[in-house]
Amino acid sequence: MIELVLQALYSGFLQGGSYALIAFGLALVFGTLKIINLAHGELVLLSAYIAYTVESRMDVNPVFAIPFALVLVCLCSVLVYYLLSFIRKDRELNSLILTYGIAIVLTNALLMIWSADVRATTSPWLQEALVFGPLASMRSELIFFLVSLILMGALWWWLARSWYGRAVRAVASNREAAKLMGIDPRLTEILSFVVAGILASFAGVALFSYGVIHPPLGEALTLKAFTITVLAGLGSIPGVMLGSILLGLAEALTVTFASSALQDLVGMILLLIVLFVLPNGLFGVTGGRG
Amino acid sequence: MLKLEDVSVRFGGLVALNNVSLSVGTNEIVGLVGPNGAGKTTLFNVISGLVKPTSGRILFDTHDLGSMPVYRRARLGIGRTFQIPQPMHELTVRENLVVAQRFGAGKLDSVKIDEILEITGLDDKSERDASSELSLTELKSLEVAKALATAPSLLLLDEVLAGLESVGKRHFMTLLKSLHERFSLGILIIEHDLETIASLCHRVVVLNFGEVIADGTPENVFRDPEVIRSYTGAEHA
Amino acid sequence: MKVMLLRWAVVVLLAYFFVPWLFGANAYLMSLIVASLVIGGVALAWALLGNLGGMISFGHSAFFGVGAYVSALLAINADFPIWLAMVCGGIGALLVSVLMLPTLRLKGPYFAIAILAYAQIFRIIATEWRSLTNGVAGLSSIPSLPAVLWWESGSKISSYLIVVTLVFAFILVYRWVANSHYGLALRAMHESEDATRVVGVNSTLLKAAMLLLSACMTGMIGAFNAHYINFLEPDYAFGGVWIVIPIVAAIFGGYRTIWGPLVGAVVVYLVDQLLFKNIFPSGHQIILGIILVVMILFSPGGLLPLLTVRTRKRTC
Repeated sequence: MIELVLQALYSGFLQGGSYALIAFGLALVFGTLKIINLAHGELVLLSAYIAYTVESRMDVNPVFAIPFALVLVCLCSVLVYYLLSFIRKDRELNSLILTYGIAIVLTNALLMIWSADVRATTSPWLQEALVFGPLASMRSELIFFLVSLILMGALWWWLARSWYGRAVRAVASNREAAKLMGIDPRLTEILSFVVAGILASFAGVALFSYGVIHPPLGEALTLKAFTITVLAGLGSIPGVMLGSILLGLAEALTVTFASSALQDLVGMILLLIVLFVLPNGLFGVTGGRG
Repeated sequence: MLKLEDVSVRFGGLVALNNVSLSVGTNEIVGLVGPNGAGKTTLFNVISGLVKPTSGRILFDTHDLGSMPVYRRARLGIGRTFQIPQPMHELTVRENLVVAQRFGAGKLDSVKIDEILEITGLDDKSERDASSELSLTELKSLEVAKALATAPSLLLLDEVLAGLESVGKRHFMTLLKSLHERFSLGILIIEHDLETIASLCHRVVVLNFGEVIADGTPENVFRDPEVIRSYTGAEHA
Repeated sequence: MKVMLLRWAVVVLLAYFFVPWLFGANAYLMSLIVASLVIGGVALAWALLGNLGGMISFGHSAFFGVGAYVSALLAINADFPIWLAMVCGGIGALLVSVLMLPTLRLKGPYFAIAILAYAQIFRIIATEWRSLTNGVAGLSSIPSLPAVLWWESGSKISSYLIVVTLVFAFILVYRWVANSHYGLALRAMHESEDATRVVGVNSTLLKAAMLLLSACMTGMIGAFNAHYINFLEPDYAFGGVWIVIPIVAAIFGGYRTIWGPLVGAVVVYLVDQLLFKNIFPSGHQIILGIILVVMILFSPGGLLPLLTVRTRKRTC
């Protein structure tokens, strides 16, 4: 029993790493533009399918798909931004509908290119079990948890120390004041989409290396990312990390003690509870949404 | 009729109103003055229910307003205007009044609407689009007209005279006086122009930094040195 | 007034006599018409919430699916008469919307996302509650719709007469709400909610009423559809198409009008079914996404208003 719980906690913890990558991309865009990119999950999934193609066509480790994914996903991400920039009227609502439309286009494009079949990696090296005492995981899970830690660390450094990162933070916290200080919000907006794309690329490859993918997964990913965002409060990296691990843990425990089929249900219910009960998230201030 | 007892409002650490007590009697016109940021509009928001007080009691007739929702206060007879006019978008002037009367007063009476349109000088604008086809003066009149359509017994007027040129101002003051007589309304009015207040109000309440610093007849209040200091000091700061 | 009555008489005559008389023999054409009316009905129900209530729902698939499943299960397991089962389907969807009431306190994107989450939750429940819903395998041999007059149960014409009646009922409900004082208050609430509250409008109650009504209508159409096609599976009953088409339709047809969403839904659906389904057998819904993107970028206020000369302000 104890081993089961420990194992579930360990798996959930590792899963939290990639969730953080997905969630932070969404949160960054939400922070700078006050827009929820409903196509974000599909961008992650696109990267996962690129990993699948690289593995199945070139017969190499899907990790080598990362450069291709980076280029394609970042391009798509910036394209989303480009389309969003045309919206003038009722920005909040219309951008939501626009990104929903883009999500539908992407989901169906994935379906047309890669069919509705469920895909998973065939690499034995990635799937090999690494055991520490009572805890076991696939090599890929551990690798991508570390990758996510490094990326989040880099991101933290970038936001806290670099000029561009600070500009992004400034725009996120007060757009008008940032403008007055000479920051071009458009630049920071593009940057946040690029960074979201980078994170999505890594997250997608991670997703493919230890899980299964199929086209409708994108929407669930977006919702999970949003769940973490509301859990965490906006823009705090430790908050996003904690929220991601929390979601990972909740899902892993559900899989262990209830059913793997209910895994996605946990996230949704968590989202509703946080929205209804905790107006400011667990770890910070998100600004009024009620 | 309206009685506030030790009402305080805090937004986070900011104290917007601090232990404010005041009353408006039936058929009384009370002026509410004070420098910008003194908490006058917050006070209106608390009375009409848009802002919840942190502590204190608000009594209206025999009702404790407590956490009563906004719409029920309106139906009880509290009508208010907004400093920045808030016409109901997408509706004509007449439709604005129809909504206000139907929901605020409870029953439709088109004769009464015609009457309100006439006394607020909007009778020839009744089919105009309220949000896009009215001048500022007309928008202010519409604010008052909407409030009147709810058949109020207490009217909260938030700077309905500000921004009007002197002719418009005189017109409005005559209007308010006649309304007051015709519908025997209690009126609480926020206004910067002290002359207007002096000629219109029976009593004046002065707010500064969220606190009541004076309450009395215009003659007495405007002679109070503290009022003069706070008022002029803040105005020129 | 007389012109109005005349126009309605013509529409009713067309719908009830000429369509069955002219096309009744053509099963393919009738099935397209029925399917369009189903989509149109969902779009109308959605528009009641979206256009009148000002709340953009990404979750109508939950109402459609729950209505379909409740009605089908009651008819299969409890031998409910189909009429009653369909009404219960509507009530089931209404109960779902009661669960959604807390979302009304949320603003813009938070409302949209919360509704989206509800839609996912009910799809997962329908998939995983196998003992009740038979899971992904779905329900088959759902009892057919009842006979209407002398047309036998489950025939195309009787199904058509039922759905056309439902859609007419929806139009009447929509018009009644839009032309009532509630409709006025709802219109005003979109951009000036505080202004409506301080004159005595209980805005929360009005929004809740729109949500409940819209859910119930969608549930009944879902129930109709279940008995019409006699088969249900979670991915179909809770499918994204029931979310997307009403949104596309509302934007395509323009906000604030009643014929807009209806015509928009039918046009979009038919183009999708007749044209794109043949070109791209899988993933043809990509076209819905493309239409949505293009519409929102180039004419967010609707396409029909661009084409018609008259202003859209008072054509509810």
